[in-house]
Amino acid sequence: MKRQFGKWCAWAMILGGLYMAPRVLGVFELNVLLGTAIFALFSLSLNLLLSFTGLLSFGHAMFFAAGAYGTVLVLTRLSGFPLLPLIGIGAAAAIGLALLLSPLLVRVSGHAFAMLTMAFSQIMYATVMKLSHITGGNDGISGFAIPSVSIPVVGVVDMALEQNFYYFAISILGLSAWVMWFFTRTPFGSIMVGIRDNPERVTYLGFSVPLSKAIILCVSAGFAGVAGSIYALFQNMVSVDGVLGPLSSFSPLINCFIGGLGTFIGPIFGTGIGTILLELMSAHPEQAQLVFSLVLIAIVLFLPGGVIMLYWKANTRWMAVRQNIQNRFFKRRIYE
Amino acid sequence: MLLEVKDLNSYYGLSHVLQGMSLTVYSGEIVGLLGRNGMGKSTTLKSIMGLVRPKSGSIRFQNQEIAGHESYQIARAGIAYVPEERRIFSNLTVLENLMMGVKPGENQYQGGWTLAKLYHHFPFMKDRSAQKGAHLSGGEQQMLSIARALMGNPALLLVDEPTEGLAPLMVQEVRDVLLKINKEGVAILIVEHNLKVALSLVERVYLMGKGHIGFSGSVQELQSMPHVQEQYLSI
Repeated sequence: MKRQFGKWCAWAMILGGLYMAPRVLGVFELNVLLGTAIFALFSLSLNLLLSFTGLLSFGHAMFFAAGAYGTVLVLTRLSGFPLLPLIGIGAAAAIGLALLLSPLLVRVSGHAFAMLTMAFSQIMYATVMKLSHITGGNDGISGFAIPSVSIPVVGVVDMALEQNFYYFAISILGLSAWVMWFFTRTPFGSIMVGIRDNPERVTYLGFSVPLSKAIILCVSAGFAGVAGSIYALFQNMVSVDGVLGPLSSFSPLINCFIGGLGTFIGPIFGTGIGTILLELMSAHPEQAQLVFSLVLIAIVLFLPGGVIMLYWKANTRWMAVRQNIQNRFFKRRIYE
Repeated sequence: MLLEVKDLNSYYGLSHVLQGMSLTVYSGEIVGLLGRNGMGKSTTLKSIMGLVRPKSGSIRFQNQEIAGHESYQIARAGIAYVPEERRIFSNLTVLENLMMGVKPGENQYQGGWTLAKLYHHFPFMKDRSAQKGAHLSGGEQQMLSIARALMGNPALLLVDEPTEGLAPLMVQEVRDVLLKINKEGVAILIVEHNLKVALSLVERVYLMGKGHIGFSGSVQELQSMPHVQEQYLSI
């Protein structure tokens, strides 16, 4: 009961904080917050493969990019396309790509999966560069207006306003994260863990491992697509180096490692720490990479479970302290 | 006839493990598959389950050829497998482990095994349903592995060395549970090392020589033939 109450309090604080953010924070801080949220969703989608299913992807950015390009291409070519379906287009583009690649990707795991995903994202990079008359190549596509949304009671909401776009984006991102969390709680979530721990067992219980992997890949890709789609709208541009560059696939991986593998929310913390660190050091870009790398090394060496472990350790400690206090002050009184 | 294995040949790489293996299991009976180590008992179960692909031969289950099918298809057809060494998912809770046993789609065989019925047979699982599989004792893990297999309502249960490494009291319990399950109409093909346990459990036995059946008959027949026991079982 008490724990439930604490949980609701935490949720209320998070939601209240996200709601109040545009009133309290300046434009710059708000942008950092939204950028963190976008990459947190991207990292969460990768974590679905990495922590839950045990599949290490080195090319997850291709789904992020598919979402970004899908949304932007439709937005710039079909005028008057509403905003919400645009996000759906981003997700659909990423899922389409996942479906296209799944016949090959689901047959492998381990190193082979990592190498194949990396190869496919390289192919995608080359393709986007080659099709520069459509994708804009190196320069990318930019300077498009985000369509307004008309909500029945509220009226027309102008998305060019930072505050409005923030509320729209944070709702979609939050909802996506929640749906993903829910997905891990369904029996299908158990199948993911089963595939990670021992695929053979999953097979003789009556589930097709390749088919299950394909479904997981599509779900993960879909949410990466949503993140990419919102990223493109938020940046008001999409370019090949922005979404498919060398670090695009690795930064969510690093976020997962910093936050803590094996948990659902770890990557959110990892993304937050990573983003804040880079923003703090933004005046010195070269040193930023150095500091970032040192932090990564420190975490891998001294905190292998990620920063989430700090919370668990503190929690266990606090439980022990509380028990101690109870024993000392309350139980004795009963006996005396 | 529930299961008919005929002239099965299976290989591990180049080694010819099953050499013309044949056996049958009828509905509702318990059959033991005994023999020394390395004769191919576990491989027989794995071949039936499709975890080892037989090179040649036929496996008919409920008058359907299943040799060469994918494991998950065989599982859906109504065969459940309880492997050696209690292969549960240690990172999932007891309840999640059980729910993994529920097969997708319609069950071919309606055995009526539900969570409530399993909790009735295995009361400890109800109390510990939220605990991780890793926190169970060896015997409890074995029970969970059997219960998970039953969640799929199988017509035939393949059980590989269920009492290996268990305390004597737990051995008794596993034996009783298997008998209870069999009373509910589930046929069982069991590989068992412990001859005493095996003979108190099964109706018919197959003794394996190198990769094939050396003797088949009832428990009484086996007990009246010490030389056969000598030939296939003693070390």
